[in-house]
Amino acid sequence: MTDSSDARFRIGVDIGGTFTDGTLVDSISGQVTTSKVLSTPADPASGFISAVEKLLDLDASVSPDDIEHVVHATTVATNAIIEGKTAKTAFVTTEGFRDMLEIARQIRPSLYDLQFEKPAPLVPRQLCFEVPERLDAKGEVVTALDETALAKVVERIVESEVEAVAVCLLHSYRNPDHEQRIGKAIAARLPNVIISLSSDVVPEFREYLRASTTVINSAVAPIVSTYLASITEKLHAANITSELLVMQSSGGVYPAAAASDNPVFMVESGPAAGAVAAASLGTALGQPNVISFDMGGTTAKASLIRNGQPSITKDYSVGGAAQAGTGAFGGASGYPIRTPVVDLVEIGAGGGSIAWVDTGGALRVGPHSAGADPGPVCYGLGGKEPTITDANLVLGRLDPAYFAGGEMSLDLEVAREAIRVNCAEPLGLSTEEAAHGIVEIANTAMVNALRLVSVQRGHDPRDFMLVAFGGAGPAHAVRLAEQAGIPRVLIPLGPGTASALGLLVTDVRMEGSATLIVRSDEIDVSLISSEFARLEKAGRDAHRIAASASGEPEFERAVEMRYWGQSFELSVPSPVGSVIDQAWLDELTESFHGAHETAYGFRATDEPVELVNLRLTTVGKISRPQMRKLDNVDSDATVALKGNRPVYFAESSGGKGIIQSPVFDRSKLPAGAILNGPAIIEEPDCTTVIHPKWNVTVDDFGNLGIEQNR
Amino acid sequence: MTIAAVDPIKFEVIRNALTQAAEEMAIALRRSAYSTNVKTRQDFSCAFFDKDLRSVSQAFTQPVHLGSFVRHVPIAVNRYGPENLGPGDMILSNDPYGGGVHLNDISLIGPVYWQAQLVGYTACLAHHVDVGGGAPASIGAFREVFQEGIIIPPIKFVIEDELDDDLFRLVLSQIRSKRETAGDFRAQIASNRTGALRINEIIDRYGLDEFDRYINEIIEYTDRRTRAEVAKLPRGVFSAKGFIDNDGFTDEVVKLEVKITIDDEGVRFDTTGSDPQRRAPVNSTFAQTYSACAYALRALMDRDLPVNDGFYRYVHVEAPEGSVTNCVHPAPVVGGWETHVRLNDLIFEALAPAMPDAICAGTKAMQCHSGFGGENPETGEYYCFLETLAGGYGGRSASDGPDAVQTHGQNTENAPVEETESNYPVRITRYELVPDSEGPGEFRGGLGLRRDYMFPEEATFTILADRDKAGPRGLFDGERGSKSVYALIKNNEEEHLSSKTTVQLQPGDVISYRTSGGGGYGPPFKRDPEAVLTDVLQGKISQKRARERYGVEIDLDDQSVNDSATQELRIGK
Repeated sequence: MTDSSDARFRIGVDIGGTFTDGTLVDSISGQVTTSKVLSTPADPASGFISAVEKLLDLDASVSPDDIEHVVHATTVATNAIIEGKTAKTAFVTTEGFRDMLEIARQIRPSLYDLQFEKPAPLVPRQLCFEVPERLDAKGEVVTALDETALAKVVERIVESEVEAVAVCLLHSYRNPDHEQRIGKAIAARLPNVIISLSSDVVPEFREYLRASTTVINSAVAPIVSTYLASITEKLHAANITSELLVMQSSGGVYPAAAASDNPVFMVESGPAAGAVAAASLGTALGQPNVISFDMGGTTAKASLIRNGQPSITKDYSVGGAAQAGTGAFGGASGYPIRTPVVDLVEIGAGGGSIAWVDTGGALRVGPHSAGADPGPVCYGLGGKEPTITDANLVLGRLDPAYFAGGEMSLDLEVAREAIRVNCAEPLGLSTEEAAHGIVEIANTAMVNALRLVSVQRGHDPRDFMLVAFGGAGPAHAVRLAEQAGIPRVLIPLGPGTASALGLLVTDVRMEGSATLIVRSDEIDVSLISSEFARLEKAGRDAHRIAASASGEPEFERAVEMRYWGQSFELSVPSPVGSVIDQAWLDELTESFHGAHETAYGFRATDEPVELVNLRLTTVGKISRPQMRKLDNVDSDATVALKGNRPVYFAESSGGKGIIQSPVFDRSKLPAGAILNGPAIIEEPDCTTVIHPKWNVTVDDFGNLGIEQNR
Repeated sequence: MTIAAVDPIKFEVIRNALTQAAEEMAIALRRSAYSTNVKTRQDFSCAFFDKDLRSVSQAFTQPVHLGSFVRHVPIAVNRYGPENLGPGDMILSNDPYGGGVHLNDISLIGPVYWQAQLVGYTACLAHHVDVGGGAPASIGAFREVFQEGIIIPPIKFVIEDELDDDLFRLVLSQIRSKRETAGDFRAQIASNRTGALRINEIIDRYGLDEFDRYINEIIEYTDRRTRAEVAKLPRGVFSAKGFIDNDGFTDEVVKLEVKITIDDEGVRFDTTGSDPQRRAPVNSTFAQTYSACAYALRALMDRDLPVNDGFYRYVHVEAPEGSVTNCVHPAPVVGGWETHVRLNDLIFEALAPAMPDAICAGTKAMQCHSGFGGENPETGEYYCFLETLAGGYGGRSASDGPDAVQTHGQNTENAPVEETESNYPVRITRYELVPDSEGPGEFRGGLGLRRDYMFPEEATFTILADRDKAGPRGLFDGERGSKSVYALIKNNEEEHLSSKTTVQLQPGDVISYRTSGGGGYGPPFKRDPEAVLTDVLQGKISQKRARERYGVEIDLDDQSVNDSATQELRIGK
């Protein structure tokens, strides 16, 4: 496949709320072509195929046969959950535990709200069934599976005409036998219904989290498989028969067939792409430690990449409150999943976030957003409340005549008026001061997000580079870096579509895990080795179906560990070397003590350490496309100078406020060009703001490298 | 209403940074803790206090700590003497008669220094699973506080960054679950250090003068917003009275009374009329009662309102000394939460006529502890386990009370069955909703839940709960939720137990909790028949109960409401 010199083009398609972005990359020359079409929420597949067709129209030299593979990021699974449009699903569990999904964690999502609601279970109570059977915590049978009772439950499931079934029995992570027998009994009567067993999907302890993950898997499976089938069909109709891959929440891709069986791994498909793009760019530029920052119209997302790998979490809720500070407590809102998800902190700060003054006289930004409709006041589409975009416009950071590359003009006067009336007058400030305050307050929340993914996880921001993209990211990035103590910023080429590129620079990844729960001083190391071997075999089998991956699979091993008695595990990479022996275990244990000290400030060397889960990721390598160098090289940036305009920079001008600043056209900046802040760099889909005391060097590939003056 | 002479931007930035510091303390504590009660059930809180011991920013997982923790910290520091606390020192305290609540809640408090100047205090409170005393998990019916566990007055526990090993061993010697408790103490130290580091970073950036000035401003800002919220409350005097089923030694009910006066000065809660304290576990310290009132007021205000000294200024509590709402030494206190949480229900009941859309009908409103321990045959260690069980929430003016959820001051998670069974010699054999336990209403109460514990080994089990004589009250013709049941099942024979008792279990014995449902809101015969149909189809309410309590005839074959039969049932109702 990959060695065929003809099939050298790869296509990435990322469906967002407003636009569907397509990216076509020539993997040899690095030439990138992008397309943007309106998303079609009623039938996302048609927006998908329009984006693909537009790419092929833009580059007439590419024929459908030249496509090596197509990678897709989609929110179809998340949307089904958030909109309550999941498939009709049955849930089967151990007798006595039918209400596991109803009871959930028994807590309220907000402490002081007497009118709160618990999220409605994805399976209504009449479709939750019990089977007499029981295992103990060691996986031994306490009560045998009652086949007669099971047969009756199967008949009731048949009568209820469900599209999917989820099975989660107590302690099945230790012993899958009962679940497998139940699965077979249902499959015998309902061969076309999707059945998810918790021991297959996430064989890890804590029943509610495992059940929730399994239920989500089955409840979105019919929707995801239908959707992927329809995309495949449309690609075939366009004569594209190459492999379709899907982005997972973890940042790896997997074949469409695997996605149809295990869709819970792709619920956060879209946001992962941005982190992957930042990781890939950092690695290519010799900066494997980066913080990815993606700011769009309604939210901003931050994630941390170390050694070229995005940080991964398994503490995540779909449709929950995703905001700074709730990471450890986000339990009661949304539906938890225990699959690997790129560890993002997402906050409600985007270009459309609304600024207001509260009853105590404080200036606030968000959480309400004007969204795309009516949008910021300056769009002139009926928005009345000032937003971050309005504030940036008033400060001179955006050009009213060059928004969306001049396709849309912004109304500065109405933006000024809205900020004056809503914020400046109530606070006794000038309009510029208020606009500046709006931006600074939004920045504070975003700096918190950057701190949460770095300092809070034990990483010093000074060791990282900030990679900023999304429509609004580059306007804020330099100031955020200044406040968060990050010395370098990188703005990639085409920041507005940068995350779609992330689809084309990752590998096939298949996750496998096994629960151990054994103390390090009591474990038989041969058990670790045999469990890893078992996971490796399953990984090889899964790897075979991914046509785009080349060569032998690679394996990443990690062990989730904690002090015996704790409840939160830290993931510790397996020491290098293939032999698993006592020395390996000692090294692993020492790594754990170190990781614990980094995260929580202490190590308890005398305490027993517990090995909770083994994780093995099978990686099928996909070759990276080359990056294309700019044709023009010159250290002088004046060729790109468009003019000058006054820009408000109170934070760094010694109180002067407005500074006359040069404005550059990014498309004309040559490689090697150097320029100093204050400056504005414009391109059709976004504006980069360079603050005083920062300087820019354009690299060979056209990325803006921004550093603080020494 | 403007902020004169302060930079509104710097204000918001510092305010967020202070909140963030408290939240990072909470994350550090939870993730590195050992006991299920802290790490999973989140029974802890963290806060930053300024150098004058005013509460500034807080990260609370449990509203019960809202008023108690902020009272305890200043009292403990003043008792010890702020001048006796240097950099790297931390004091430990759990004294109920020194501003605390019950002995399990142990606070660790450390001064924060910036360039050798005292700038404030970080403090965290954790509910420790065991503090010694008469029964595992330190809950039970006792006569005096001395029987409830180790009493720790403010003592220096960490001296110049080093844990005092002698004291540490002394404290641990009183405690059954030594390993977990030691781990939780280490997590508390980590939490305070995290907070101190963040506070130092804020001062590094803005300077100490600005830091102090903006803390004042943050408190004044909260004062202004609280005043604006109080202005929206109805003016007048509102009262209610109610009962706790028994005190744990006698079957005599415990009377509680509350009178609420709302005027421009704030809100005054007066518990005069409540019973004298008992030589039994139901006594609430002043801090606990204060906390109940602070929570109730906070729940009636804008959800976005910050809580600090500027808020507490508006909470005025008068609780007669020597009563169950303000007990004096040496009354036992471990069940004081029953009084605390019942006061919440009473406060909302009192305000119901004036604020019918803001409140809810009677909730579970009991702490509902389950605690047990014994020797773990796998490890040979003495183990202790503690959890609290959810119940039904009360109906609201436009929505049903949610099923099986923690209420009011309590928001602790359940312990996963698989985690519990992996760590302790117990098997949970049933965990489910209790059908027909709701209080009928136009908007019904939530269902209670059932949890059965089977013990393969001998164990000591304590129930510390309530509600087995009368279920939570309904409002506006809504009816009471079901009563709770606490049962011992031996050889398939069920014996009902008192709501406050300790029992010795033999291998194979089962303890079964069935918690109360929430009270209904509005007349049940006005309930939308389609909503009744959904409840019946889901098996939450029986067909018979639908007919008798709601006047709705459900046709099970058709899965529909029988309209004509329903009309007939509802005639004259």
